[in-house]
Amino acid sequence: MSVSVRSYLRSFLAALVACALTAGAAAQDAPAPQYGGELVVAITADPPGWDPSVSTSQEIARVVYHNVFEGLVRFDAAGEIVPALAESWSLSDDRLELTFQLREGVVFHDGTPLQASDVVAKFERATDPDSGHTNPQYYDAIESVVGDEEAGTVTFRLSRPSQGLLYNLARPDSIIYPAGSAETQRTNPVGTGPFRFVEYLEGSEVRLEAFADYHQDGVPYLDAVTFRIIGDPNTRFAALQAGDVDLIGTALPPEQFLQAQQDPNLKGTEGTATTEITLAMNNARAPFDDLRVRQAITHAIDKDAIVDGAMFGLGAVIGTHMSPAEPYYVDLTDTYPYDPERARELLEEAGYGDGLSFAFELPEPYNIERRSGQVIAQQLAEVGIDVELSVVEWGTWIQRIFLGADFDMTIIGHSEPRDIDVYANPDYYYQYDNPRVAELLAEAEAATTEAEANAAFQEIARIIAEDAVNVWVFSPPYLVAARTDVHGFWTDQPTPAIDVTGVYRAD
Amino acid sequence: MLASLLVFVALSSVPGDPAQLILGLNAAPDALAALRSQLGLDVPAPQRYLAWLAGALRGDLGESINYGRPVSALIIDRLAVSVPLTLGAGLIACLIALPLGVTAALRRGTWADPLVTVAAQVGAAVPSFWLGLLFILFFAVQLGWMPAGGFVPWERDFVGALRSLALPMLALGLGQAAVMTRMTRSAMIDALGQDYVRTARAKGLEPGTVVFGHALRNALVTLVTILGLSLSNVFIGSIVIEQVFALPGLGRLALTAIGTRDFPLIQGEIVLYASVIILLGFLVDVSYGLLDPRIRID
Repeated sequence: MSVSVRSYLRSFLAALVACALTAGAAAQDAPAPQYGGELVVAITADPPGWDPSVSTSQEIARVVYHNVFEGLVRFDAAGEIVPALAESWSLSDDRLELTFQLREGVVFHDGTPLQASDVVAKFERATDPDSGHTNPQYYDAIESVVGDEEAGTVTFRLSRPSQGLLYNLARPDSIIYPAGSAETQRTNPVGTGPFRFVEYLEGSEVRLEAFADYHQDGVPYLDAVTFRIIGDPNTRFAALQAGDVDLIGTALPPEQFLQAQQDPNLKGTEGTATTEITLAMNNARAPFDDLRVRQAITHAIDKDAIVDGAMFGLGAVIGTHMSPAEPYYVDLTDTYPYDPERARELLEEAGYGDGLSFAFELPEPYNIERRSGQVIAQQLAEVGIDVELSVVEWGTWIQRIFLGADFDMTIIGHSEPRDIDVYANPDYYYQYDNPRVAELLAEAEAATTEAEANAAFQEIARIIAEDAVNVWVFSPPYLVAARTDVHGFWTDQPTPAIDVTGVYRAD
Repeated sequence: MLASLLVFVALSSVPGDPAQLILGLNAAPDALAALRSQLGLDVPAPQRYLAWLAGALRGDLGESINYGRPVSALIIDRLAVSVPLTLGAGLIACLIALPLGVTAALRRGTWADPLVTVAAQVGAAVPSFWLGLLFILFFAVQLGWMPAGGFVPWERDFVGALRSLALPMLALGLGQAAVMTRMTRSAMIDALGQDYVRTARAKGLEPGTVVFGHALRNALVTLVTILGLSLSNVFIGSIVIEQVFALPGLGRLALTAIGTRDFPLIQGEIVLYASVIILLGFLVDVSYGLLDPRIRID
């Protein structure tokens, strides 16, 4: 059986399951889809342009991913990789040639048809280090890209087998636009998605309208979507309550989610996300260079209490750098369970029986992290660790803590899917140096089956959990609040996106 | 110019790299270097400042890193929100503060004075963003009369634009009115205690003529100074109010610029803020001569 058939079967099965699931849900509450109407979605900040291959800002991806731009493949609402501009793909027996069959009759919003040369131009840019393309490491297995206009195919020649490439081609960075338009996409995005960009009023809103020539029949349902930029969380929610906004699908505080569930005009949904709230320690710096201290800190933290205290009980406790939404998730919460007695013993052994003190810095823009940090500081105090709490402005956090690794302890949500690879990088701000992780990562990348790759990822997860590199506290859920007549939005967040293709309004 | 230099030095010493913020946390060094040179960030700071200054003197404030548009165009767009918001809030403050302040001064010793004084005290203590949020919850969520934040452009819907500015003007104006009321009251009390007022009363002038023709006329110089300061306050205070009401004004633009380390945009905003405050001071100075011939300078 060739890989292409298998991956196709897999996505077909996944689609079947998804259909069955949504059908089940639909039978209970959602009315049949209706055409027409508009939607207003609240977002938190002005995105730096609209091209996700120029900036990794998640604000860009939320607006344009699959709404305006598509890649060869994409993630669906369940996080499965499904066909987008490519209708199928196949991998050669030596796993060094990946060939995509492009869908026929696809047109860009400017009316030009999609050609193999557009795809080739895109990946030549992505693999050119001087082009300023985001995340070039996603594409570093690509040696060359060849298009065949007649056959409508694009072939990637690879320098080594790559298990992760298809996944990376589904990311927002891998979207396709007309060859030669890279310069203008930042201000005037032209893609193939179900909605076309109409107008952007800086600081206020961006308006998208349904694209009449969209290549998939039947969608979108809505005539237009407006993403309104509202920075203050209380104002965002008030706008939803007042009916000025129809959906909040980003940065919804747990208390507002609970409030939405109580409100007869609103509903709230809770799903999975790929974020891990991570209590990060500087492994190269004393006292965190001592495994016993890191173990003690892990034992000192009552994660359930944090989820209750900072999140009103919403969130899943985790034990490694993985959220339950990841396909290779493994439950390691019992590696070093909450045990303040054991924490004190370990601190005593490490020579900190009389107490220990260090700086704990909280990132200013992130409410959940700030709240969690305050609970953690109290829990650490109970085992004799005295932290100096301070709040750090975001630009400073990135420059000094994240890039400079000049810190003792901090806390942050790592939201990118499949980001366990950072533990292979000894320069990453945790300053964790273990060559075995890099070996396992290479094994995962060269794996012939997904199961084999997943086994390697799980081994990494186990190693870092046993080394207590950080404390992985919990995975916050993906929370959405919407007016009751809004249906068909993503209730999970496998990748940062607010895909409104399947959204419709019906009472 | 001094302001722009101070800000430039401050920004250069604060950690934070716009290229890093654009390309994300896992950006490759090559890609970062390419973007930095594209943004002109690879040039030494003093040289960058001189280049900016040379441009600014010719009226060219450079291009925003975050928006990819000229700074001056971005600022001009935002004036459509900030100028009406400031003037409207200032007007509301005057309309409330002048009658209340004068009344309190005239009715000293009766119930009216302490009432006004306490109300002003409370008003001045309430933060405008909190008041704004209360207004949203009451007028937009409960009653549904007003939009809960956001802005409709003037050219699209004039009444809609006015409606979206009404609550923020009120929230901003009320806080300022409280401060102005107290100042008006004390300026009037001062004026009423002057010898010429006693003389005017003694020669049998109507109480109205005494209050408005003599006391208020003389207090006006102080009041105009207060008004100038108030407008500066409102202009600065709108940074917070714009955030609460999600208005695309200069304040939100400044916050975004600082958060993304958009150096040219921050510089442009600072120049604008400094110019507005200097301009207000100048207008106040000019008005002295008109209000009081004794101050006229030849």
